[in-house]
Order: sequence, then structure tokens, then C-alpha cells
Amino acid sequence: MSKEDVHALQLPGHLCCPGCAGPIGSKLILKALGRRVICFGPGGCGGMAVKTVPCFTLHFSGVGTGAGGIAAALEMKGKTDITVLSFAGDGGTSDIGFGKLSACAERNDNIIHLCCDNEGYMMTGIQKSSATPYKAWTTTTPTGKVTWKKDLVMIMAYHYVPYIATATIAYPEDFVGKVKKAAGIQGFKYIHILQPCPTGWRFPSEQTVEISRLAVQTRAWNLYEIEEGTVRITQKPKPKPVKEYLAPQGRFRHLAEPDVEEIQAFVDSQWTRLERLDGRNLWEAQ
Amino acid sequence: MAVRKLMDGNEAGAYAAKLARVEVIGVYPITPQTEMVTRLARMVADGELRAKYITTESEHAAMSICAGASAAGARVFTASASQGIVYMEEVLWAVAGQRLPVVMAICNRSIAFAGSVRATHSDSLLQRDNGWIQMYCENSQEVLDTILQAYRIAENRDVYLPVAVCLDAFSLTHTAMPVEIPDQKDVDAFLPPYRHEYVQLDPDIPQEIVYGPEPDDVTEYTYQREVAMQNAKAVIREVDKEYGRRFGRPYGGPLEEYRCDGAEGVLVTMGSITGTAKDVVDEMRGRGEPIGLVKLRAFRPFPSEELRAIAGRVKAIGFVDRNFSLGSAGGGIGCVETARALYPMEKRPTLLDFIIGLEGRDVTPEQVEHIAKRVLDAARTGKAEREVEWVQLRS
Repeated sequence: MSKEDVHALQLPGHLCCPGCAGPIGSKLILKALGRRVICFGPGGCGGMAVKTVPCFTLHFSGVGTGAGGIAAALEMKGKTDITVLSFAGDGGTSDIGFGKLSACAERNDNIIHLCCDNEGYMMTGIQKSSATPYKAWTTTTPTGKVTWKKDLVMIMAYHYVPYIATATIAYPEDFVGKVKKAAGIQGFKYIHILQPCPTGWRFPSEQTVEISRLAVQTRAWNLYEIEEGTVRITQKPKPKPVKEYLAPQGRFRHLAEPDVEEIQAFVDSQWTRLERLDGRNLWEAQ
Repeated sequence: MAVRKLMDGNEAGAYAAKLARVEVIGVYPITPQTEMVTRLARMVADGELRAKYITTESEHAAMSICAGASAAGARVFTASASQGIVYMEEVLWAVAGQRLPVVMAICNRSIAFAGSVRATHSDSLLQRDNGWIQMYCENSQEVLDTILQAYRIAENRDVYLPVAVCLDAFSLTHTAMPVEIPDQKDVDAFLPPYRHEYVQLDPDIPQEIVYGPEPDDVTEYTYQREVAMQNAKAVIREVDKEYGRRFGRPYGGPLEEYRCDGAEGVLVTMGSITGTAKDVVDEMRGRGEPIGLVKLRAFRPFPSEELRAIAGRVKAIGFVDRNFSLGSAGGGIGCVETARALYPMEKRPTLLDFIIGLEGRDVTPEQVEHIAKRVLDAARTGKAEREVEWVQLRS
């Protein structure tokens, strides 16, 4: 695909906030897949960037399921060359649409679901979701969230679906590679994308890519994939202290030193767990 | 060759979906709809019907599956009832707004505040404002025939609205009656393959199909849907006529007039009560009492013009409401709607409302006769002794 073609997949100029990771992410996805796609998603931040591929919208709580219907119709019509992309934020994916997504995965609907995770209900004005991290400020957790971020990736992995991956925009090759791989697999694919949100996370809009990179470098967000149950870590950066990721974000401004230590310990234990799983199959007896 | 078979409303619904060659079926079970969708599962498993049969985790999802599949060009079917209709309501509005010709059977069941599974029309009538066409059936044969008609109505380019085909819990869903199953090739001649002229999810002609247009366009989109609803009136009539020609069973379009000639009072019924009421009308007519019956098939679009024409010839109308709208302007939803339809008439008949059969409570011929007599009393005196009567209310 020519550069012009890539640019034509998503119209220039968007209605998202300055520095939003969303349009960067969706552009990478369309670049990976080209024109033979149909998008499905609820109303949300993602819809603020206009894509020039067919898009179908249902309610916030319809996560994945409309895409499952589209995939079923395409199968009946024998249209096998079209990829059905289901978009939703972390609110849709991990909260109100979680049951639907779980059902899509259990049925092994032939779709790619992309969880565009900006760690909160950002379109409605920064409210907590179950994907909001521990201690983070939101307008519904004004003194900081008291529980940990739901591990949706592992929950989806235990639906025994063929492909699961994590991604973030600061690692575009890793990101695009995973989307391409998913498109080549039959059945339900889940890609969880960390999308830093300058508005909700309270950092300057020019630092989006830097925050995305720091999330991986500090192991606050790990990049890996689970193919037919086998875990593979795709990025193993030299670790930086998690403080470097937390400090630039206003949503963590109120954190005391013990809070940071607690988060560091959690991040370390998560990484240890992931490393232990690296190269092994989750679904087989350990 | 058409064949005759003893079947209940649920099985008739499943046969209709099969004859319509539906391509995607989104399913979530609920009493009393269950046998309709499990029958379809069997048909797909046995290779009698080539369709994607999709089990979901909720009615909301079942309708979302239908929405996506319909937008992507498949003919779709689902069925639900009661709490299921309430749970999928969010999607019902979207489907109508997106002008998707989804067809759904609603196995009318009360909405629980007490947990009954029996017939009341509250579940479908709750959805009367969202752009779904609503058709009510008297028996299993009409269920089958109306579902086939529903696809032709929904997929008409001047309509493109979803259709709900309603059948009463148990008295229709679970009661076996003789049904003539039309021949597949005759159905194919009546119902061509589905192709939406406007909504197409196709990478070669990219469209964005949203559920919420820009605020400044909402008035126009709403008006367009109302135009489609009004267009549906003629389409319902034409499709029913054509169906009658092809299969020998016309139903009168949006409503059926039963022995209204020379009637001074008429009952208006919806659903399975009609059968009992027709028997009562026959008997009373035999005794020379001037009573007639109007079976309302389409509640949406509401056949105001037809009702007005009948109202111009009679002195009293009694609406038999198997529902109630708490705190309404007076009575059940059918009566309130009828009052608006008749209001512009210079000389209006007396309008009475009868609340009956809630939660599937048996409606006896004696009770219907009581209603008919009240209507004839009003026709004679020009007055309603009681505007709203709860016929079966225990004192």
C-alpha cells in the first residue's frame, strides 16, 4: 500500500483531544490491514477519528457482538477476505460489554477485538473503569482507586481463544505485527492496547508516545502475546523504576512514597509471573 | 405442495423463519419462546436450514447479532419475550433507527413484578414508540403467515423498518392447531432474497452506520422514520393482498373486520382473545344482537383511518385491552390509542375499555359476552356506564 493509501484510510484531522493515542492506534491498525475491513464499535472516543472503511455502531454495551453478527453474515455470503474489527474502550470491554465480549470469545466469533485502553471512562469525563490502575485519580475516585486494574488479558486467555496480544503505540512495529498476525488467524482474536490519555491521565499532550514507552520500560504495561495458549514476551526492555512512569502523570500526583513502593512491588511480581510463563503454554498442566 | 401439520405457535414461527430462508439467527432462550428457537437449532443442525445459528449470553446480544448481520446483508431472525424484550430494548431503538429490516417474534408474556410467565401484551406494547412495526396474531397459522409477510414489509424500500410478530404466551405458543405449511418454491416466489438498497457494510462502498446522528439532524431522521411507518400502512395492505392471492389466506391487512356489517357496537381485540370473541359474536349474531368485531393485526403503524371508517358506522366501540398503562389518560394502551384515532371525528361513537386476561388469566366466552353486552348498552344509550372496566377484577 502506498503512503497516500495509508493516509486515506483515516481522514486527517480528528475530534479527539490533542495528543490522543486513539487515532495513532487506529491508523496503525488500518495500516496493518488495508481496505478489506469492516469496523464495529460503540460510540466512544474511538469514533472521533473518521475512518474511510465501513463502520457500524451500536450501543456502548454491544461490545463485540455486532461484529459477531457481521462476521456471521459475511460467512453466509462467502465473503472470506474481509477482516471484522471490533473496537471498544476499556469501559466497554472490561465493564458494561464484558459479558458480551466473553460470549464472543466463547463462541470463537471470527473477529479481532481491540480494547483501546485509556484506563477510564474518558469520553464522559474521566470516570473510573475496572481497568483504571490502583491509586489513580479519576472524577469518581477523587482520592485514588482502591483496587487493582482487572487483568483482562489473562481473563480472555482463559477463554481458550487462538490469539491474544498486548500492544501500545510507542512500539508500532510490535503493534502492527500483532494486528497482522491476528488477521491471519481464524476465530476470536483479542488485542489489548494501552492508549495513554493526556486529558485523563493529566500529562502534556506532546508526551503521549513517551508515556506509552515509559509504561513498557517500567513494566507497568508488558508487551506479550498468547498464541494457542503459549505465552511469548515480545519486548524485554531494561527496566526503569515505575516512579518514572507515575511521576509525569497528574492522576498519580497524590501518591506517597509507600504507594509508589507498593505499585513497584506489584509491577515486579507481575513481571516475574510473566517471565515464568514466557515460552510456556497456559492451558497445559504446569 | 403445501402440507398440513398440527403445530403450536412456536413451531409455526420456526417453520416461517425456515421458509423465509433466514441466514443468521441470534438466540437467547426465554419461556415461552424457547421451543421456537430450539426447533430452529434442530433445523440448522439437520441441514434443513442453511443459517448461522448463534447462541448468545443475553437478549441484548441476540438483537445486537441481528443488527450486525442485517447491516452486513443477511436476513435475520430472533424471538424473545417479556424480560428479554426489556433487556434488549436499547438495541431495538438502534435497529429501527438504522432502518434494519430485522424480524422478531415476541411471545407476549407479562413483565415481572410478580414473576408470571403468562400472556399480557405489556412487553411488546412497551416498545410501541421506537419504530418497530407490530403485528398481532390470532392462531398458529397466522403466526406462520405473518412472519412471512413481515419480511416483505420490513424489506420494502419505502419502509425498511423492523417488524415484531406477536403471539400470546401459551394460548398460542404452546397450543397445537392445524397449520398449512406453504411450499418452499411458492414462498421463494413471494419473498425474494434480501438486499438493502441503502445500508450496506461493504469495503468497496464504505459507509458509516451510526446509532446516534448529529443532534441537529435528529428531527429529520425521526420524521423520516415516521414517513416510513406511514408508508408501511399501504405496504401491509398490499403484501397481505398478495399473500392472500398466492396462498389463499388474506387477513384484511392491518385489521380484520368480522361481522361488522350492520353492527351497532364492535369489540376491538388483539391476539388470541380474538378466537373466543369471534365465537361469542357468532352466537350473539345468531340471536340477532348487532355486535361485530375488529381484530387489530397492526398496532404499529396504528390503523387510524380504518378504525375511523368503522367508527363512522357504529355507535359504540369496546376495546379489549390485555394490558394496562398505569396512570394513563384512561384505560389500556389500545383504548388510549383508539381515542386519539377517533378524536378528529365530528360524530364519535362511545368508547369503552375493558381490561381482561392479564397474566394469562383465562378469558371465557361469558366474560366476552358481558363485554359485548356493555358495548351494545352503550350503543343504545349513547353513554358509557363505566369508561374503563376491569372485567375479571375480584372484589
